[in-house]
Amino acid sequence: MTALAAPAAVDVRARRREIRSTTLRAVGRALGRSLFTAVVSFVIIVGVWFSVVTFFGVAPYITQNPAQVWNYLFTLPSASANRELIWGQLSVTLAHSAFGFVCGLVVAILVAIVFRVSRLVEAAFMPFALLLRSVPLLAIAPIIFMIFGIGSQASVGVIGGIVVLFPALVTIAFGLKNASPTMIDVVHTYGGSTWTVVRKVALPGSLPSLFAAARISVPGAITGALLTEWLSTGDGIGGSANKEIVTGQFPALWAAVVVVTLVALGIYMLVQLVESVVLARMGMATNTR
Amino acid sequence: MSITSIFSRRTARAGIATAAIAAAVISLAGCSGSTPSSDTTPGDAGAADYGTVNLQLSWIKDVEFSGEFLADSKGYFKDAGISTVNMTPGPSTGTSELLSGKADVALSDAVSVGSAVSQGQPLKIIGTEFQKNPFTILSLGEKTPLKSPKDLIGKKIGVDDSNTVLFNAFLSVNGIDPKDVTVVPGQFNGPALLESGQVDGYVSYLTNEGIQVELDGYTPVNLAFADFGLPFVAETVTVTQDSIDNDRDKLVAFLKAEVQGWSDFVKDPQSGADLATGTYGKDLKLDPKLEAAAATAQAGLVATDETATNGLFTISDELQQETIASLKAAGITTTAKDLFDMSLLADVYKANPDLVDYSK
Repeated sequence: MTALAAPAAVDVRARRREIRSTTLRAVGRALGRSLFTAVVSFVIIVGVWFSVVTFFGVAPYITQNPAQVWNYLFTLPSASANRELIWGQLSVTLAHSAFGFVCGLVVAILVAIVFRVSRLVEAAFMPFALLLRSVPLLAIAPIIFMIFGIGSQASVGVIGGIVVLFPALVTIAFGLKNASPTMIDVVHTYGGSTWTVVRKVALPGSLPSLFAAARISVPGAITGALLTEWLSTGDGIGGSANKEIVTGQFPALWAAVVVVTLVALGIYMLVQLVESVVLARMGMATNTR
Repeated sequence: MSITSIFSRRTARAGIATAAIAAAVISLAGCSGSTPSSDTTPGDAGAADYGTVNLQLSWIKDVEFSGEFLADSKGYFKDAGISTVNMTPGPSTGTSELLSGKADVALSDAVSVGSAVSQGQPLKIIGTEFQKNPFTILSLGEKTPLKSPKDLIGKKIGVDDSNTVLFNAFLSVNGIDPKDVTVVPGQFNGPALLESGQVDGYVSYLTNEGIQVELDGYTPVNLAFADFGLPFVAETVTVTQDSIDNDRDKLVAFLKAEVQGWSDFVKDPQSGADLATGTYGKDLKLDPKLEAAAATAQAGLVATDETATNGLFTISDELQQETIASLKAAGITTTAKDLFDMSLLADVYKANPDLVDYSK
């Protein structure tokens, strides 16, 4: 794009400046938006939490209110040991989530590219992707464990990957298809193949979709990790949750749930931030709004 | 004149109506007031009405709860003044259900209850069905037989979440580092996981999964907890301190019916298996062969030399101390006084001395 607009050197400098200021503005906007979202979500979550605990008459033994979770993590004499426990569980869960996230997203990108290159493959394989989506994961989990081994790292990647795959695939495939027809024509005119179109036009053009896919995949990957931990590996927050219910360690359970929720929210916003920086840098920032 | 007479008549009528309404209200109030008073009067045992008991079972409705099925179907609960016993199937340790008020009584195990008690939760064991705990690490002779605790090292063991505390206790008593064993969560599907080779061992019941795999044609290899440093009572009748303080009569009545139900079971284990397969666990499509074999094995856990002298559900001082020692070995510190309250069972046998000898 820059190459096309480059006849005069002055223009290039001006254009760079412009891009930089757009980037800065976009980052500022994204930061502001993220912070606003965070504050609003936080207020809503804490409000709903307090009212459910207070008005639904749930036994105090089971429930913990926000203040109790705060005390568990920060003010009780055992707080540092508690933090260590939760941090240990969380780091396992995050490692599992990252693995599932990468597996799912890599497969989604590769499959979306294949779909873009060959419509036949898309027609043949989309039903399979739909199948993975429509059969409850809980129902096929035992079969997955039978194949990949219960408690294995592979089961983490497969379950996490399946959760991430479908929404990411649909979003990315959509982005790849929406490349500008004029640019595609340019590539074809110079004798480029479909593969060149994908490489030079469709892939860079699909960045917004790619980031959207990454963003929606963050909570999915964490859900997948928790599910695998509960059913297969037995560690992390997902594996500990049911054991804590059974042994009556409700403060630890609530603290873990709160922490994993906050972390998921944080990562989501981080991806959003990276997204706005990259898109602004690529000149794709949406200036409207 | 006629006007006044009408007026006075009207007033009179209104007065009568008011009186009638007042009477109705009073009698209604009287009714509503009299109901709870008859509830709480312990007066004569026969007329006592203790209402409903919510009972949390530790497992699905199989032969494990034969005594409860017998007490329910033969009307022992009703005779004792308990109109309904709502049995909620597990798997569960029951501690959360008790402490949250969802259950009045839970059939649990000493380790899970002890773990909660050591954390300061107000729970008490007031009797036990199994004198010996039937927990075992089951493996298959045809696959990877685990014959001693050391064999667990480097192996994959399936543990249901509700047995986590127990399994950790087993490891610590036998000096095995939890890091050396791969633990995977089970979903109460032990025999399937073992037979398909997905796990090497599974924390099971001697009277359930062990028999199941045998029926499937495998050789069960057991590491029974009771034989490897962890003798403790199981299927304990567990309640909160609060209900001992406030509903003592109800609990004593419940225990009495339980003793009657389990006495019938010891006399005829097959009757329990029949109720499990044919009535209470009908939806589960239980295997009658498995239930019959389990019933026989289970009778040996319920009736021992100790119960022959002191009656079913008894927990001797010695067994209490053994249980406390097992807990201690597992890193759970509590005392017999904090964990057990046998005075309610004593009340049952004091009022019904004929129940002690259950062979009659």
